[in-house]
Amino acid sequence: MHSYKGRFEPTRFEDLTVTVDFHCHSACRFCIVQEGMNRFKGVPFETFQRAVDDNQKELRYRRVTFTGGEVTLEARLFDYIRHARESGTFEHLRLQTNGRLLADMSFARRLVDAGIDEFFVSLHGHDAETQDYISQRPGSFDQAMRGMENLVSLGVCLMTNTVLTTLNQPHLAQIVETVRRFSPTRMEFWNYLPMEDHADERGLISPLAELGPSLRAALDRAEQLGIETAVKYVPRCVLGSHARAQDNTQPDVVIAEVFYDLYPKFSCLYEAKCEYAETCLGLHHAYIEKLGWEPELLVPYPRSTPWAEPEYGPWVGSDQPGRGSAPATDHPDWARLVAGVAERHGAQLAEVVLQRRACLFRFEQGDGGVDLVVTARSEAGPALARSRSFNVHYRNARGSDTDGLRPLVTDAVAAIVERDQGEMLLDQRKGLVGDQAVRTRPKRSGPPG
Amino acid sequence: MTATYLDPNVLEPLALLPAAEADRHFDYCLEPYRPRRPWSGKLRAENLLWHSLLVARQRATWRALLEAVQRHVGKDLTVWGVKWDGERLWWELYFYDPRKESARATIASLTEALAPWLRLGPRVPETVPYMMFSFDLSAAASASGEVTALNLYLTGEQAHAGRSYRVTDAGAELENTYRFMEPKRNIDEVLPLIEASVFVDYSARERLKDVLFPVLFACKKVCISKKRDRDAIYFSGIAVDQLLWFLRRFAYPVPLVSFVERHQEQFEHLFFDVGIDYRTDASGRIVYPKTSYYGTL
Ligand code: SF4
Repeated sequence: MHSYKGRFEPTRFEDLTVTVDFHCHSACRFCIVQEGMNRFKGVPFETFQRAVDDNQKELRYRRVTFTGGEVTLEARLFDYIRHARESGTFEHLRLQTNGRLLADMSFARRLVDAGIDEFFVSLHGHDAETQDYISQRPGSFDQAMRGMENLVSLGVCLMTNTVLTTLNQPHLAQIVETVRRFSPTRMEFWNYLPMEDHADERGLISPLAELGPSLRAALDRAEQLGIETAVKYVPRCVLGSHARAQDNTQPDVVIAEVFYDLYPKFSCLYEAKCEYAETCLGLHHAYIEKLGWEPELLVPYPRSTPWAEPEYGPWVGSDQPGRGSAPATDHPDWARLVAGVAERHGAQLAEVVLQRRACLFRFEQGDGGVDLVVTARSEAGPALARSRSFNVHYRNARGSDTDGLRPLVTDAVAAIVERDQGEMLLDQRKGLVGDQAVRTRPKRSGPPG
Repeated sequence: MTATYLDPNVLEPLALLPAAEADRHFDYCLEPYRPRRPWSGKLRAENLLWHSLLVARQRATWRALLEAVQRHVGKDLTVWGVKWDGERLWWELYFYDPRKESARATIASLTEALAPWLRLGPRVPETVPYMMFSFDLSAAASASGEVTALNLYLTGEQAHAGRSYRVTDAGAELENTYRFMEPKRNIDEVLPLIEASVFVDYSARERLKDVLFPVLFACKKVCISKKRDRDAIYFSGIAVDQLLWFLRRFAYPVPLVSFVERHQEQFEHLFFDVGIDYRTDASGRIVYPKTSYYGTL
């Protein structure tokens, strides 16, 4: 089978991101949703309510992130926050914002009082000239800086987000200097992904030969200052000693389904040779189409295990080690495939993880366990068994008696083969809303009342 | 059940052939594959062939012959290729490995079976160890009622490689060599083979992207071919969305692209194969003198 490296299937299972609306008072030159702003509306409150109500039953998500557009402009934001807080099911409520309205201390305090405890503030320039040029809004840098000052004085968790483009690439280390006085918990650097301007007519895609050294310098500086970093969509092999900062995980996103389809695809020439093929995305296609495959700049890490064409995306359970297993099974149709099996073997079905290309059943038995994975049926790949729709595999047998897992696996495989009527397709998307979220955006302006 | 499709561009109806349980699925090497989706509600790959003939107003010309081919060789066992040079469409039919799939897919047998519609000119003794042969359905062939050149494919010096010869009454000449590889797993062999070229200078490394297209890199196999006056690369085992990208990228006639767009979902169960000939022109730009896509009949 074959696949792109681009895997935007949700992989951070404890995070839920909600796009409250898509309008904004800045006009960042790299904005990936500029066109989308005219097409998409946010998630209807009722849909959000349902997601939260589900979470009360399933305790699946520990954090909800409100994003946009610029979410602080959304009149109903506080309804969303209140509902999330009152559900009592989230440990953290996060706001992703350009920080401009946070310059108003009373507004910042209102958000904190409402329950937001994590602020993820975008800062794309190291100084007013650069930031305001990028946002096309004079004063936006000063507003964001005042906003961050306010957050510091309110004692909440502050993280920053910088989108990497040709516009700020020479100044990345200076951005670290700019925010150091706020002691952010974490700085994230997200490589620009063109979602509309695929030919990069705006000239924003930063060549790796220049981005690499500049980003490494910023990561060095952050490390010296004790600031945690995370980098998205930059090849791991260009991060040097900061390779571990690479984090391409995605939360579940409640967003218009079609929006998701706009995400670029990724490839790396050396995928089959690289130890990190499963987590590193390589280069996005717009990059390759403009600047090439970078066969010399990318250097695969020698693999320690044989490569196999990925059958499903990686999953990263938790940012809290040991608590990765969201109590599953909000996928009853899928859970039904193995219902009753665990009980027959004194085991437990701990989790059902449904991804685009795979569904994983995680069984626990004694001090160990095993994962059963079904992927779309294909004769091409090896499989333990094939049911009508699926290839069935097992993975990750663990514990002191892995041989003892055999009857469980055999039984589960037999159940899947028997119960799969050929109707289930592995390209399910969860947490998403459909066409009803697309519309022409009505004109709105001003901060929320 | 057969649905009829009225092509809005050509204003001619086309009976769409639905997929069926009995369908067998082969790639352009006649290697079997498992369909990507359940077949129900889907369309057979041959609809793409029929539609391309419709667009080129050649359906009436070749219909009886193609139906005879299908009857003679067996359903799903003939590979067709639609070729496009930016100005005109033509077709090629490929007959594979008579020992493996259909004993009737020999030159001798097809020469006889197709005689009422088309004369296969060149004489080829069946002792020649070809594993496949092909010929063009071109304007010239339809005008003269004769195919004057056959292409013979012989196993190459190493596994998954081969050579093809063009055979006419005047004799046989080497036409191209080719080799199949898995793009990701065999990348260390794929890159040097692509770059071993007299037609493209790869010292500018970003050139590679104009041959090894990232959208198509996610395929089951690439075939690197060296031809007489150009190189070629084939991507096999691609999905219909990749096929659509390919048709748009190489500016296939609009009706052809819209047909695939319109029926995209109904072709989702299939894998397709595409080929791209390329070389550099006088100004050093990569040009694509011919591209093609494949399915089975
Ligand atoms: S070589 Fe490895 S680390 Fe580098 S881009 Fe490719 S997959 Fe990522």
